[in-house]
Amino acid sequence: MIQMSSVDLNRKGKKIFSDLNLTVMKNEKVLIQGKSGIGKTTLFKVLLGFETIDKGSVTINGNRIDKDHIQDIREQLFYLSQDIDLKNDTVGALLEEIFIQNHKKPLESTRLNQLMGVFELNVTLLEQQVKELSGGERQRIGLVICFLLDRPVWLLDEPTASLDDIMKKKIADLILGQEKTMIIVSHDDVWKNNPAVKIERWI
Amino acid sequence: MGAQDLGVLSLVSLLVFLIPVFYINRRVGLFIDKTIIFSIVRMCIQLSFVGVYLEFLFKFNSPVLNTVYLLIMIAIACQSILKSSNLKVRKLFVPMFFSLLIPFVLILFFFNAVVVRIDNLFEAKYMVPVGGMLLGNCLRSSIVGLNSFYSGIKKEEKVYLYSLSLLCSRIQALKPYLKSSFLAAITPTLASMATIGLVSLPGMMTGQILGGSIPMVAIKYQIAIMFSIFYTEYFSTLLAILFSLKVGFNDLDVLNQDIFASKN
Repeated sequence: MIQMSSVDLNRKGKKIFSDLNLTVMKNEKVLIQGKSGIGKTTLFKVLLGFETIDKGSVTINGNRIDKDHIQDIREQLFYLSQDIDLKNDTVGALLEEIFIQNHKKPLESTRLNQLMGVFELNVTLLEQQVKELSGGERQRIGLVICFLLDRPVWLLDEPTASLDDIMKKKIADLILGQEKTMIIVSHDDVWKNNPAVKIERWI
Repeated sequence: MGAQDLGVLSLVSLLVFLIPVFYINRRVGLFIDKTIIFSIVRMCIQLSFVGVYLEFLFKFNSPVLNTVYLLIMIAIACQSILKSSNLKVRKLFVPMFFSLLIPFVLILFFFNAVVVRIDNLFEAKYMVPVGGMLLGNCLRSSIVGLNSFYSGIKKEEKVYLYSLSLLCSRIQALKPYLKSSFLAAITPTLASMATIGLVSLPGMMTGQILGGSIPMVAIKYQIAIMFSIFYTEYFSTLLAILFSLKVGFNDLDVLNQDIFASKN
């Protein structure tokens, strides 16, 4: 599914990756561990085509990340960024726009309300502006989008960082129960203690 | 009929009011004397040059010469737009040039052929001053449009990229920035259209009336020119942003940082 071989990437004279190899099979759940600044977020940016590598090759479903394939690739990947950098609008309008753009049909409120319930979000949140949300609410809205889009590959950057312990466990179990290919970066123990994940340690 | 000529001495007499200006500046500690003098000198030199070459253009009234003159004006306008938008002239000159040229030529010839109905479409008397007015206005709107578009995306690059990952289409992800920059560019013209005549008389009308036109004729021309300005601004700003996208973003739809003239 995802194949990176001998990847080098330098940014501003600093080595981020040198000779990086990573293979993620279909429906495999890979947890990447390592100290901060080691390029975990950069890895996601490379896969999404936001950063370009200096050497090596990266393929997703056998396709290189280039002009001809980038749209296809982005349609396969869901990226949960650390800050969930959503543009400012009401949450409801934003979810609606994202859903219609992806699925070419209107968002059903029953499905949305059910997901809001799963993540313990009040439906009144849909009327609020994105910038009024707390960190934990943003993160959960990001996960609601993840489930709504239902893309085959999930790139999750600290998906449970701003949640309380009970929620962390519940959400990690829910996510890992999905038939999806995943790369997860997280410092929370709930991920590495789950038998479904394959741990990849970066030093 | 025509306006009375002004002697050089009468123009010089206008300098008289600089005395109180300089006096007040000194008293209140406003150190802009140098800037005032610099601006006045530039204005006089530039306009004198315009006077000389307009006389020249009008005398020959050659279609080729008039066209060349307007093309040079467009090139200068491009340079000035890109510089003021903090974008690299070398990288964006060609797209900018065509985004001005296309609407400009279209509207200018429409104005001359359909509205004024002159026989010689290249008549210097119409082509040069009307063209100048259209370009002058496009200058402002294109600067505002390009500037707010690229600085907006640069400032919110993470948000833009995240939209790109969610929406998978560059145009969809760019839409909010296109919208807001376009609005910022066009709104001042709409506002001035809505208040024109209430507060100020436009320069073109004043000129025509002084030149001997009856007010009604001057007003008709003013209406025609306001339409033309609006259309040219609208299309040139839109095209300026659209044509610049190919250079402004890389193959993977990420903003090219090297289009900015300086880092700030």
